[in-house]
Amino acid sequence: MGVGVGVGINVGTTVGSAVAVGVGTGVPTGSVGPTHPANITDKIRIAKINLIFIIPSPERVMVLVINNFIDCDAGVGFIINALHQSSNMAEGSKKEMKWIYEEIVGRIPPFSLLSYKYSILLQLLFLLVLGLILGFIFGLKPVSLIYGSLGILVAVLWSLLILQLGPTLRKFRAPLSKDENELLERYKGILFHRNHYEAIPGLAIFIPFMIYIFYYDQVLLGTWLGDAPNLILLLFVSLLIWDICYRMGLGIWTSILALWRSFELKKIAERRTELEHTPYTELRALRKLDINNVFFGLISLLLIPLLKSDQMLVTMIFSFMIFITFISVISAYVVSKVPWLPPDIYNLVNGSSFSYVGTSLKGVPHITPVVYVFDGQRIFFNTSKEAKKLRILRRNNKVAFLIDKRDMSNIYENKAVLFTGEVKIYGLWDIPLRFIQMLRARKLFLLKYPDYTKKYASSELPKAWQLTPIIARILVEVKPVKILYWRGAKQISVPV
Amino acid sequence: MKIPDEMLNILYGNYFGYVCTSDKHDQPHLTPVFFVYDGQSQKVFFITNEKSKKVKNILENPNVTITVDIRDPVNPFNNEGVMAMGTATITEKGPIYFLPEETLKLYTDIYMEFKGKYQAVIENKPLGENDVIIQINIEKMVYWKGPHFKSVKIGKDT
Repeated sequence: MGVGVGVGINVGTTVGSAVAVGVGTGVPTGSVGPTHPANITDKIRIAKINLIFIIPSPERVMVLVINNFIDCDAGVGFIINALHQSSNMAEGSKKEMKWIYEEIVGRIPPFSLLSYKYSILLQLLFLLVLGLILGFIFGLKPVSLIYGSLGILVAVLWSLLILQLGPTLRKFRAPLSKDENELLERYKGILFHRNHYEAIPGLAIFIPFMIYIFYYDQVLLGTWLGDAPNLILLLFVSLLIWDICYRMGLGIWTSILALWRSFELKKIAERRTELEHTPYTELRALRKLDINNVFFGLISLLLIPLLKSDQMLVTMIFSFMIFITFISVISAYVVSKVPWLPPDIYNLVNGSSFSYVGTSLKGVPHITPVVYVFDGQRIFFNTSKEAKKLRILRRNNKVAFLIDKRDMSNIYENKAVLFTGEVKIYGLWDIPLRFIQMLRARKLFLLKYPDYTKKYASSELPKAWQLTPIIARILVEVKPVKILYWRGAKQISVPV
Repeated sequence: MKIPDEMLNILYGNYFGYVCTSDKHDQPHLTPVFFVYDGQSQKVFFITNEKSKKVKNILENPNVTITVDIRDPVNPFNNEGVMAMGTATITEKGPIYFLPEETLKLYTDIYMEFKGKYQAVIENKPLGENDVIIQINIEKMVYWKGPHFKSVKIGKDT
């Protein structure tokens, strides 16, 4: 095992591209550096030479940046070569997490230079122009052009949705639980497998479909391209059909995998101990991907005008839509049921009755004890409309929310959790929008503080204390950005 | 101005205080602390690690608030508490022989007070190497019992 040196030099003039090699043996990936090329480029933007020691080992070579070396001059050529070599070495060990499509597009110059959203829009434009030119050359009817454009539109909309998977999962912070982390890694491993399994469902749709439209249902091709289509046109249309089928397959592939992942994650999450958990932001990211998939299913309805002459194909599109939507909704629901707090904190939040709200206005802090409820996902507290903290929160919605267990007999058993972040104050407008949520929070208050509620309801109270929901008592939700946890005297920071 | 007895009772009779500080972006931070109240100087003292977020915030913004309360899970009318607002001073730190007489006396006094109040907890543990004493110069106090409030301004001359 030898030791080498990698040099990262900023050679960027306009794009600010930089090359750096980071290699570690047995070092956790996170400690080597951020895995987002953009960050690194930013960091080394100032002309500065970075020396990074390389300790090559066959099974783990990390390549951090292989982007944008177009305007590198000869002087750094050897670094790029070295990069290529190590990237070959690294193949398989460090997953790049790209699908065939992303990989191809990422290599063609005009697309590779753009951010992925613009690159997709450019592809849309490119295909549209190509289609229109072909249409004019071969004298297609306007209907055909509209059909073609619709097909391209569907393909591109699908790309926009599904290609968010890669970037989202690449950014995913590792769960603080060994089992959950393993599951996520396995999920990513299958999703972006080196053998590109994701193309199989696409092929399984594409091949029968091609056979079908060429041998059994010539009407369809006729309505699209006229009676005697040119070979080039046929090729273009086949390409388009493949584009659509490939993405349909991707939709099936990703939604089934997502469903499996959600159920497994939920199952593993039930066995968590102490502070094990997956950060909440990441759970939400997973749910967002699932919701993306719901839209993915709905978009397939746009294909119906293309296939309307064939009853069977229309039925198939409908079943596809229902299948994807159904699976994704279930998956999103299951993910939303994964507890976002680790068990220790969950139990503390679930079991305590009092909390303190810290607010600050123009640098003057303010604290009040409040009662709160926790529905498993969200923390709410109640406050009087007249309360000072509400007046402060309306002007500065930053909050520190502390829940603790105090026990003088044994301080090593004392626990506290601090959520810092923002609040959402429920107002009149939320009544129609979040009626069920507000009702549920109210019910939780009644259940958790029955004596309080009785006391509030019975006696003649000052106006500030009356329990008329919304009118006199305002519901406030805590939206944490950071969680701090103390056990005994030890402080632990828990990622949200 | 004299501080009403009900406020003093709470300040003397409770073990946990909740200290809220905020940074320069007005982001509050809240922690439970052990504290002592000194009736003579009308100040609240607590000990914390000099690397803590509290200290960092106080250096950015000296305004500090501490709340001490009694909570009754059954009857909200028995909830009682005091919120004291003021500015914090961090006692200087350094090797004992370099500290001025005054600070040294403060250290011993406060430490003895803590030992007296939190006997069971502190036992004979000395102050930690990174511990600093923070004093809150109270400017305003709010007292509540159930829905009733009372507030007292404390003049700087006292």
